[in-house]
Amino acid sequence: MGTLLKRHRWIAPVALLTPGILWLLVFYLYPAVQMFQTSLWSGSLEKGFEFSFSNYTNYTEGLAEYAPIYLRSIMYAGAATVLTALFAYPLAYTIAFKGGRFKNLLLFLVVAPFFTSFLLRTISWKILLSDESPILQVIHMVPFVSEDFRLLATPIAVISGITYGFLPFMTLPVYVALEKVDFRLVEAARDLYAGPWRPGGAIAGFIVGGGLATVLGIAFGWEWFLTGLAGAVAGAVIGWLFISESFIRVTFPLSLPGVFAGSLLTFIPAIGDYVNAEMLGNPDTMMIGNVIQNKFLAQNDYPAAAALSFMLMAGVLVVIAVYARMLGTEELSASAGRL
Amino acid sequence: MDRETLTTTPITRRRLLAGGALTGVAVFLAACGTKGTAATPAGSEAPAASATSAAPGASAAPVESAAVAQSPSAEVNWANWTYYMDVDENDPNVFPSLVKFTDNYGTKVNYSEVVNDNEEFFGTIQPALQGGADTGWDIVTLTDWMAAKLIRLGWVETFDVANMPNFTANLVDTYRGVDWDPEGNRHAPWQSGMTGLGYDPAKTGELTSLAAFFTPDDRWKGKVDFLSEMRDAIGLTMLKLGLDPAKPTREDCDKAVAELMAARDAKIVRAFKGNEYAEDLKSGNVVLAMAWSGDMIQVLAEKPTMKFTIADEGGMIWTDNSLIPKGAAHKYTAELLMDWYYQPEIAALVTAYVNYICPVKGTAEILKAADPEMANNPLIFPSADIAARLHIFGGLTEEDESYFNQQFAKVTGKG
Repeated sequence: MGTLLKRHRWIAPVALLTPGILWLLVFYLYPAVQMFQTSLWSGSLEKGFEFSFSNYTNYTEGLAEYAPIYLRSIMYAGAATVLTALFAYPLAYTIAFKGGRFKNLLLFLVVAPFFTSFLLRTISWKILLSDESPILQVIHMVPFVSEDFRLLATPIAVISGITYGFLPFMTLPVYVALEKVDFRLVEAARDLYAGPWRPGGAIAGFIVGGGLATVLGIAFGWEWFLTGLAGAVAGAVIGWLFISESFIRVTFPLSLPGVFAGSLLTFIPAIGDYVNAEMLGNPDTMMIGNVIQNKFLAQNDYPAAAALSFMLMAGVLVVIAVYARMLGTEELSASAGRL
Repeated sequence: MDRETLTTTPITRRRLLAGGALTGVAVFLAACGTKGTAATPAGSEAPAASATSAAPGASAAPVESAAVAQSPSAEVNWANWTYYMDVDENDPNVFPSLVKFTDNYGTKVNYSEVVNDNEEFFGTIQPALQGGADTGWDIVTLTDWMAAKLIRLGWVETFDVANMPNFTANLVDTYRGVDWDPEGNRHAPWQSGMTGLGYDPAKTGELTSLAAFFTPDDRWKGKVDFLSEMRDAIGLTMLKLGLDPAKPTREDCDKAVAELMAARDAKIVRAFKGNEYAEDLKSGNVVLAMAWSGDMIQVLAEKPTMKFTIADEGGMIWTDNSLIPKGAAHKYTAELLMDWYYQPEIAALVTAYVNYICPVKGTAEILKAADPEMANNPLIFPSADIAARLHIFGGLTEEDESYFNQQFAKVTGKG
């Protein structure tokens, strides 16, 4: 056996790859090809389906009809990704650098919600955000909050649900990246006079926080100036208090591959998610996943559903290609290697 | 469940046809006049098996089965909706009427509450049926239009009604001769329900009109659930517009969709929901909803201040039907099981628990002896007055159905 492996060096890698490749061929490639094939049909369940390009030749009409929903999906998934990053980064940082002997416990707590079914967790959000819940009662005590303000069945609920659902997908890669940061580098930076960075941190925080909040505000049709200002102030305070020069020059750049990997792990499933929009949203917050689900299950229009799924897949692929190009594929493979 | 709260619940227009309430259903069915009832006069008991099979896919099952002496199989698999079977008070996984069946025939019934949505469930059995394979289910219980679709596709077995004497004798006459199964040997009605207004009168005041769903009144604006079931939402909207849901056309659909869209744009609608509207009503997330009678009886049991009303413009009525999917492994036992529930004593067990309208003759009489208050509940045995205002959503061709679904998906934000 040993000599056989030595003589035919290709056997080991092939043998190691085979199960994975077979799995992907059967459960990914085959369905994907079949989906594409289905998208090239037209017809109905009762009359039968026949080959046709009609799902792609009506491109302009399709675009006019579904572009808003695709855009909304990208926006929601994007907002959720940014929010998970904002929540997950400090969390991962604390666990990695200040966790001490509680590190494993804290990591376990991050993953713990996964022991409950995704659906149940989304249903609990429904209960948490419902109109008569304690959370809402507290919010309604705040002056200036209008009488009919609600959270459930709003875009905020949908994005919060997605953010919550995918938080561990962001936390874990960022944690892994931060864990690997050699703290001696930070010490070296300090020796080289990288100290606290209060004005710089405040300005950076002001710009980042303000920018994100303004984009969110515009996207949801809120009072964008006030939202932006609130975000900017919050960002400035956080920047003033927590951002040091050694962080911005050493730790943060070294942790970027984790953020990159986490963003992909969050954004890709989030854009196709339909459970959050279905359970926490309203007719104006439906995402492309809901449309595909409805086409497939309610209208039995398999070809159109397949074509929409295919376009989603292609679109996500393009987005990722651009993203990877911008941040570099080595970083992706490097972080994937660490995972 | 607390029967007191159930039956003391105030229901508008409480004029009861004690005992003979089902004739009330008969009245409205005759009034609505589905195509089928015209062809087969109500009450004619023509043995379905002897009729020639007209629809494709229907085989001469009685002839083949007569040749073989049959015995009940060891098990039978039934897919049904949730809360659609009587449950033991002490053990939610024990269904007394099914236990009785097992005691009688020795067959273990694998009763699964897996149907949450007609289309969704259809999606799970469609590949097997299309490929000519056994779906794994011997009985599936689905709503009229979906049952009609499966029959149209030739994906159901024809019953050997010789095995089903109770079904033949006790099916309420108005359920016979529907246009999608004129011989009545491919579907067995399970339960019927009404669609109307479920609301909290303390918040909204008394409501008697469907116009409430389309009026942006501050008392309920943004706190209204519409049903995600296309036929219920479009049906009620058509009634509001004075159109006839028994004969839906594309123009009707367009008008109804425009009306629904306006309600959505006016921010009246909170969401389009299936059964979940009941939770919303209970938790106070909504104060008004398009609601199903059976669900509302359960809501009323927990929150007796709620109300269920069939509006002046009318309400919808629908039926869920048991079918045997093509290629089912235990067809004979499935027939026995369906027939089992056409014994009034057994049907009464189910009705007493699920509180929907029962299609079995004699059930009301049995319930009257056991639980007179329940037999007087107009949500279970609707009065002639209510029954006269109920409508069945008419049949749609495949093209029209797809058109309606597409237009409706735009309203729900999914198209």
